[in-house]
Amino acid sequence: MASQSTVEAWLTWAFSPSISAILVTLVISLLSPILIHIYLYRKAQSKELPSFLLLGPSGAGKTTLLTLFANGTPSTTHTSQEPQTALCRLPSTVRSSEDRYRSEHDTSSRSQPQFLLVDTPGHGKLRHHAVTSLTSPGSLKGLIFVVDSAATSSSAGLTAAAEYLYDILLILQKRHTHSKTSKDPTALPVLIAANKQDVFTSLPTGLVKSKLEEEIARVRQTRSKGLLDSGIGMEDANVGDEEGNWLGEYGAREFGFGQMEEHGVDVRVAGGNVRGEGEGEGRVEEWWGWVGENL
Amino acid sequence: MLDAFEILTTSGIVLWRKQYAPVSSSVVNSLINDVFIEQRGQKSNDGGKNPPYRKEKYTLRYTSAKDVGLIFVVVYQSLLHLSWVDDLLTAVRALFTKQYATELKKPHATTVNCRDFDQTFDALVRKLDTGSTRRPSEPDSDAGPVELTPPSSTASAGEDGVDDEDAPPPIPTAPQFKKPAIPQRQKQESAIVDDTTSTDITPVPTPDTSRPGTPSTASSHLLTAKAGPGKASRRARKANATAWSTSAPASSGDEGPIRKAKGGKTSAKQKRRWDADGFAADDNDPVLDYSAPAATSEPGDGERELDVNEVKAENMGSRTGKGQFVLKDLDDEVDAILASSKSSQATKETSAESSGLLGSATSRISGLFRNVVGGKTLSKQDLQQPLQQMQNHLLEKNVAREAAERLCTSVETDLLNQTTASFTSIDATIRTSMAKALTRILTPTSSLDLLRNITSTIEGPAARPYVISIVGVNGVGKSTSLSKIAYFLLQNKFRVLVVAADTFRSGAVEQLRVHVRNLSELSRREDVGTVELFEQGYGKDAATVARDAVSNATNAGKGEMLYDVVLIDTAGRRHNDTRLMSSLTKFGQLAKPDKIFMVGEALVGTDSVAQARNFAKEFVDTKGQLRNNGVGMDGFIISKCDTVGDMVGTLVSMVHATGIPVVFLGVGQHYGDLRGLNVGWAVDKLMK
Repeated sequence: MASQSTVEAWLTWAFSPSISAILVTLVISLLSPILIHIYLYRKAQSKELPSFLLLGPSGAGKTTLLTLFANGTPSTTHTSQEPQTALCRLPSTVRSSEDRYRSEHDTSSRSQPQFLLVDTPGHGKLRHHAVTSLTSPGSLKGLIFVVDSAATSSSAGLTAAAEYLYDILLILQKRHTHSKTSKDPTALPVLIAANKQDVFTSLPTGLVKSKLEEEIARVRQTRSKGLLDSGIGMEDANVGDEEGNWLGEYGAREFGFGQMEEHGVDVRVAGGNVRGEGEGEGRVEEWWGWVGENL
Repeated sequence: MLDAFEILTTSGIVLWRKQYAPVSSSVVNSLINDVFIEQRGQKSNDGGKNPPYRKEKYTLRYTSAKDVGLIFVVVYQSLLHLSWVDDLLTAVRALFTKQYATELKKPHATTVNCRDFDQTFDALVRKLDTGSTRRPSEPDSDAGPVELTPPSSTASAGEDGVDDEDAPPPIPTAPQFKKPAIPQRQKQESAIVDDTTSTDITPVPTPDTSRPGTPSTASSHLLTAKAGPGKASRRARKANATAWSTSAPASSGDEGPIRKAKGGKTSAKQKRRWDADGFAADDNDPVLDYSAPAATSEPGDGERELDVNEVKAENMGSRTGKGQFVLKDLDDEVDAILASSKSSQATKETSAESSGLLGSATSRISGLFRNVVGGKTLSKQDLQQPLQQMQNHLLEKNVAREAAERLCTSVETDLLNQTTASFTSIDATIRTSMAKALTRILTPTSSLDLLRNITSTIEGPAARPYVISIVGVNGVGKSTSLSKIAYFLLQNKFRVLVVAADTFRSGAVEQLRVHVRNLSELSRREDVGTVELFEQGYGKDAATVARDAVSNATNAGKGEMLYDVVLIDTAGRRHNDTRLMSSLTKFGQLAKPDKIFMVGEALVGTDSVAQARNFAKEFVDTKGQLRNNGVGMDGFIISKCDTVGDMVGTLVSMVHATGIPVVFLGVGQHYGDLRGLNVGWAVDKLMK
């Protein structure tokens, strides 16, 4: 009973035209939107950095490449279970695309832009991380598909890499062909980084490229003949469309990365090695150059 | 002793490591693959401790700090039984996360500068390393005079104990070798033997020996130990130590092992301090100072908390001037960590009481608010109820209880102490986490492109027919699934041989003959592949029939291979009938199938787990190793999926039980009603 009367008293005061009640109301009404705003946008990033996605089969050297780009020195790594982002800055030796027309002798300080590098696990069970970050690109500027050049000389390693690359390229292609608007989605260039070029058994870059193309042609062949999967009738209505599921030029026997250009995917193959012999210096200038071009 | 200790993030970056011996990184990789990703054999049985993982000749013990995403792994030789490793892991986890928490929590952190951690770690190892193969909880008996212990055994113990130090390891075989030497030199030799025992080997068994229990002996030991450093020669000190049959740690300049006997109970532990040198230089061993805590060596100090607090306070008073914090209170800190971990294990079950009616009401209201707005840190209580709901939901979807429990546990460990995102309720968070767990469990590790495998097998110089065999319980649809696969292969223009290896049930061969007749008619009409039936009637041994069929298809020595694919149908058998099941082993070894698929009904409930397990464990090769990298079979065919609607839980149960992926789904009565598994589809149905 007593509590009810206090509540009544408070309410009476709150609705009374006294100056104190008006002041309190004013303060509350002015402050609350500000407070809510601060609460909600506390963690929101003011500006999104451009980002690059690291893909590739397990053991190709994605995480090592990430640490090299982020810290300048490669760390020892093991199989990843979680994606990892790292903030990288373009080294001063590489020119970013916004510095394209700058004179060599311009001494004013060049801005070396920062970007985010997103590493994804390459293990077969964990590739959904990569696929989700690919389908919701945000500020994605390009993909780096890391391949172990030494593993591609064995048929199993080659197949693993080619199947993953096939899946990724098909997602990119579908993104282009199935876009609802007339405006093209931003083109996502792909760099195939033929890693571990320092290893004795590794294949040279050109051979890695041609082997991957051959293997993708074979994967494409068997995939087109394989069974439909159980996902028919889900919201993705284009599953049954045979042409939509054919990577590259429809019906072509051979596959070349050039066929992807039609779908706005520029594929480049570049060699390098994250870890070097002895002194630990890798050779990654070509990859840096590619990153610089696409920033 | 230890071979390596690594601290790595879940994203795979090694933050810190110490290797005592080169360990291939594939050892740790396979731990991550098997335990963390595939979650195979991860049954924590003893109170939250992870079971050790064995790989090649190593044993790996690990623990993880979920909130900062770290994994701590110890690698050591399987021959050793290092019982103190668990304590080491706990202590390192606590210390490392405490020391580098701010750096670890930064966004985009890829490295942590933790060079200082070397010292902390070394000190930890020195403190905890009992070097022994016996468990610390074992009642310690006095090992008796060291001279009486046989040289060989002490030497081997010495090997265990001294490896990680730089001190020259004792020659273990030398005394044994010299024993049967020429008799006149015997005396001299034995003197030498004694000598080696007292110099090199004595410090080693001391960790095994217990510290004397009575305070008088203990204090006298302390006195001796203190008098030792710097004054007596090494040998004399060792001899001294021998006399007291307890450890006498060496001076600061000495490289000898400094190791304290970690007594039977950790409660009876002496405090140790390190002075400035110990901190400044890595290699310098810290001097032990036993002078201060006379009270701590009282045998009756059962109260651990009290003990720790007391000593800590004293340490702070005497040490703060030097400004070296980490090493100073490390000892006490470690004790506290271990004690708290032990007590938390003990009191784990007794959950906290709700504190009053009012307190619970306000917390519930704020909890509700948080639930709507998000940003709530999830505790075990928060998760309990929604997880129970989720588990019931899964059970309704026909997931076996065992699998549902495991999924919920993995979701709980995933979400515990996490913060929900803005405007996300707990339920939504659990749903996304569960969907992720389901995706992970259903996604195959390597892709299952059957056509590619067949093409690469039947082509090339070592061409041979590709053999697929189908097993399963009675009446699940083995023959139907087999003919569906045959139809699929025929569409791809392969030559298929169907083998009737069910020589038991009457009508089985006739049933297959009908299928083959239909299929060959169909393929003749569409002008695709060819199909034949191979049968030897009833009553013959299935394994022999299968072998004959394969050799018939290979047609070795007579020219071209006759068939590309051999499909073997087997008799249905109850999975708990050991007599029938054991014949599968022989079948697997004789027919040597490239792929063994097991057919399971989507209709079956909890039994699916036992079915999958029992079938998988029969397929061992001649060496007793399970085929296909220790999982037994290659895939499941889940039949009758069209009859269950959304309740496709059998998929999850079977994959959960064995780690074998689902290859095909049977979705109808026609030959063409065979589908591959779309993981997104299955997860969608299960979460609906």
